[in-house]
Amino acid sequence: MSADVIRELLRIADWVIFAYFVGLNSSYLVLIVMAGLEFGRHLRRAPFAGADDMFRSPLTLPVSLIVPAFNEGAGIVAAVQAMASLRYPRYEIVVVDDGSSDDTFERLRAQFDLVEVPRVVNGDVPYRSHVLSVHVARGNPETLTVVRKTNGGKADALNVGINLARHPLICMVDADSVLDPDALLSVAKPFGDDPLRVVACGGVVRIANGCRVIGGRVVDVRMPRQWLVRVQVVEYLRAFLMGRTGWSRLGGLVVISGAFGIFRRDLVVKIGGMAHDTIGEDAELVVRLHHYLREQGADYRVIFVAEPVSWSEAPSSLRVLGRQRRRWHRGIAEILGKHRAMIGNPRYGRIGLLALPYYVVFELLAPFVELSALVLLPLGLWADAVDLAFAWRFALAAYGYGLLISLFSLFIEEVSFHRYPRWSDLLRGVLAAIVENFGYRQLLALWQVSGAAHAWQGRKPVWGTMHRQGFDESPPRDTVGAGR
Amino acid sequence: MLGVFTGAIAVLVAIVVATSFAIVAVRLARQARQRRIMALAAGPRRALLDFVAENGEQGGHDLVAIPDDAWQAAEPGALALLGKLRGEAHAALVSVFLRRGVARRALGNLHSRSRIRRARAAQVLGDLELRQAVPELCRLLADRHLEVRVVAVRALGRIGDPAAAWRLIAGLDRSDQIPSLLATHTLVQLGPEAEVTLSAALDHPQARVRAVCLDALGLLGAAGSVHRIARVLAEDGMLEVRVAAATNLGKLGTRAGLEPLTAALTPARPTVLRAAAAKALGELGAPSAVPALAVLLDDEEYWVAHEAAHALRRLGRDGLDALRAVIAQEATRARRADTGAHSQPPSAAGHAREALALAAIASAAPDEMAVPG
Repeated sequence: MSADVIRELLRIADWVIFAYFVGLNSSYLVLIVMAGLEFGRHLRRAPFAGADDMFRSPLTLPVSLIVPAFNEGAGIVAAVQAMASLRYPRYEIVVVDDGSSDDTFERLRAQFDLVEVPRVVNGDVPYRSHVLSVHVARGNPETLTVVRKTNGGKADALNVGINLARHPLICMVDADSVLDPDALLSVAKPFGDDPLRVVACGGVVRIANGCRVIGGRVVDVRMPRQWLVRVQVVEYLRAFLMGRTGWSRLGGLVVISGAFGIFRRDLVVKIGGMAHDTIGEDAELVVRLHHYLREQGADYRVIFVAEPVSWSEAPSSLRVLGRQRRRWHRGIAEILGKHRAMIGNPRYGRIGLLALPYYVVFELLAPFVELSALVLLPLGLWADAVDLAFAWRFALAAYGYGLLISLFSLFIEEVSFHRYPRWSDLLRGVLAAIVENFGYRQLLALWQVSGAAHAWQGRKPVWGTMHRQGFDESPPRDTVGAGR
Repeated sequence: MLGVFTGAIAVLVAIVVATSFAIVAVRLARQARQRRIMALAAGPRRALLDFVAENGEQGGHDLVAIPDDAWQAAEPGALALLGKLRGEAHAALVSVFLRRGVARRALGNLHSRSRIRRARAAQVLGDLELRQAVPELCRLLADRHLEVRVVAVRALGRIGDPAAAWRLIAGLDRSDQIPSLLATHTLVQLGPEAEVTLSAALDHPQARVRAVCLDALGLLGAAGSVHRIARVLAEDGMLEVRVAAATNLGKLGTRAGLEPLTAALTPARPTVLRAAAAKALGELGAPSAVPALAVLLDDEEYWVAHEAAHALRRLGRDGLDALRAVIAQEATRARRADTGAHSQPPSAAGHAREALALAAIASAAPDEMAVPG
C-alpha cells in the first residue's frame, strides 16, 4: 500500500472521527433540550401536582425499600434511620445483609433491637445463596426487616429482598444513598398518576461528596473539594440528570440506576427478578422489562423523575473510579450483547429502533472512537496526512462542542433546580466542565474500553470494594425501633 | 476547509461565552426576584400569622386591604396555611380570600384556554373548599386534558359535596382514565351520604367503576352494603372486582361477610382471590373462620398459606391454638430435617411458626404466645 493511500485513509479516518464527535454531542444537545422542556413542564405543574394529597391518602400504594448491604457497617445505621424518616404514608425497609464480614448486622441488631422470626421465604424469584435468618425490629416489626444470607452478589441480595417484600411497589436503594425527604413520594407518584401504564420509575442520583449531611439529610449542597469529583458532578448533571430525563421524555429510557429506582413487584416477579449473569443488573432489568412488555404488546411507561434526589458518594481516587467505570461499561456491553435481538428490531418500537442503537453507537463505541482519535490524529500529523493547523482546530472544535454541552447542562440546572447556591460552586462547576477535557475523558475512555473487553472475553466480574469516607455529621438516633 | 473550522470555533467560543454569561444572569435575576418577593411578602405574612393567632376574629380587613402585588407574593404561603387550618380560623381565612376576589378569578380561569391555568384554578377552589364551585368543577371532569380532570377530582374531594358522586363515577368511564386510587379517595371524602350512589354503581358495566366503588364503600364502613358486596364476590365476572369485594368485606367487619368469604377459599377459585379472602377473614375477626383457615396452612400456594397463617394470628386465642396445633403435628418431621427453619421448604408449620413469632413480638404477654417447635 503506497504512502499516499495510507495518508488518504488517515485523512478520511480523521474526518469520520470528527463527524462522530459532532453526532455524539448533537445527540447530547437534543437530550438536553428535551430535559429542559421536561423540567419546565414539571415546575409549572408543581403547584397542583398533589404530592400532599398523595401523602395523606390511605390508598397510596405502599412501597418495600430493598437495601442490599455488603460490609456497610460504617454507615448502615445512619442509612436505615434516614430511610425510616422518609415522607411517605406506608412503606417497609428490607435490608439484605449479603454475607458481610464486618459488623453490618451487629450494628443493626444493637440499634434497632432486632429479633429473629422464622419467616418463610417464598421463591417468587430465584436466588442462589442460603438465607440464614430473618429479623424484624421489636418495636416496629412491620417497618424493618433484616435478612442475613450467604454472599451471592448484589443481584442475588436484591432477589431475596424481592421475595420478602410485602408491598406492590419495590424500591431498590443502595445502602450508602442519602434520600431527600420527599424522594420516595416523588418516584412513587407516577404510579398513582398513571397506575395502568407506569411500570418503573427512576430517580436522579447526585453526588454527595462535599455536601453537609446531618441526620441522614443533605442540608447544604456544596461542590466537592477534589477536582476529580467536581468533574464527576458535571458529568452526572449532563449524563444522568439531563440524559435520562431526555430519554424519559422521548419514551426510550433504558437505564434506571440501582441506587434509586422503583418498580412494580408483580412485573419484576413475572420476568424472573434480577439477572445473575450481568454486572449491570439494574439496567438489564429495565431492558428486560421493555423486552417482555413490548412482546406482550402492552401499553406501558418507564419514567425518570428529576427532583428530588438520591445522593451518593462518588469515587475520589483514580483507582476506585477506574474500577467503577470498567464495571459500568462492562455492564453496557453485556446488556447489549444479551438483548442484541432487540437492536434495530421494529418489534421493540423506540427501544429497538432508537434507544438501543444509540447505546451501541454513542455509549458502547464512544470510548473506542475517542481513543482512536487520540492515536490517529497524531499519526495523521506524523504521516503528513493532516497539517498542524487542521489538527488543533479539529481538537478544539471537537472538545469545544463537548464543553458547550456541559455548559448547557449547567445552565439548565441553574434555571430549573439550582441546587448549588454558592457563586464559588458555580464557578467551580464551569471550570470543571473545562478541566474534564484534559485527561479525565481520555482516562475514562481507557477504562471503558477495558471494561467492554472484559465483557467480550467473558471474564469473571469483580465488584471490588469502595472505602466510603461517609458524610453524616450527626450522632445516631433510633427512629425505627421507636416506631413512626 | 480551515476557514470553516475557524468559523465554527469562533461560533463555539461565542456561544460558550454567552452561555457562561447567561448562567450568571439567570442567577442574578433569580436572586433579585427572590429578594423582592421576600420583601413584599414579609408584611402580609406577619398579618396572616396574627390573623390566625386571633382565630380569624381580628385583622381580616387589614388582609383585604393589602396591595395586590404584596398579596400575590404572599398568596402561596396563605394557601399553604389554609390547608393546615380547621374550624373558625379556616372559615375566616377563606372569607379573606373571597373578599379579595380570589375565588371569582379562579372560577373565571376555569374557562381559560391554558390547561395550566384551569388546573391551578381548580386547585385554588379545592383549597378554598368552595361548595358553589362544585357544578363548575364537575363540568371540568369532562376536560380534554387528563391533568386538569385529576386536579378537579382532587378539588371535589376536598370540598366533599356528595352531590358530585355520580358525576365522579360517570367520569371514570372514559378511555383516558382518572387514576382509580384518586377516584376512590375522592369518593370517600364525599362522606357516608355517597353510599347509596356507590352501592347502586356496583351494577355498572365497567369493571373498574365497580372496583373503585367497592373500595370506597369499604373505606366508608358502609355496613349497609354488605349483602350487595357479597353478591359481587360470588357472581362478578371479573377477578379484580371479586378480589376487591373480598378485601372490602373484611374491612367492613360484619358477620354477614363470613359465609361468602369462606366460600371464596375453595381450591377451585383463583389463588389471588383465595389469598384475599383469607386475609379478609383475619380482619373480620370471627373465630368461626378458624377451621377453614387452618386447612389452608398446608396449601401449595405460598400466598394463600401465608395469608391464612397471618389471619389466624389476628383471630386471637383460637387462631393461635390452631397454629400451635399445626406445629405440633409437624414437630417430628421438623426435628428430622435438623437444618433450621429457613432452609426447609415452605410448610404449614413454617407459616405457623412465622405467624406465632410475630404474634409473640406484638403481644404484651410473650410467654402466652411462646413459639413451640
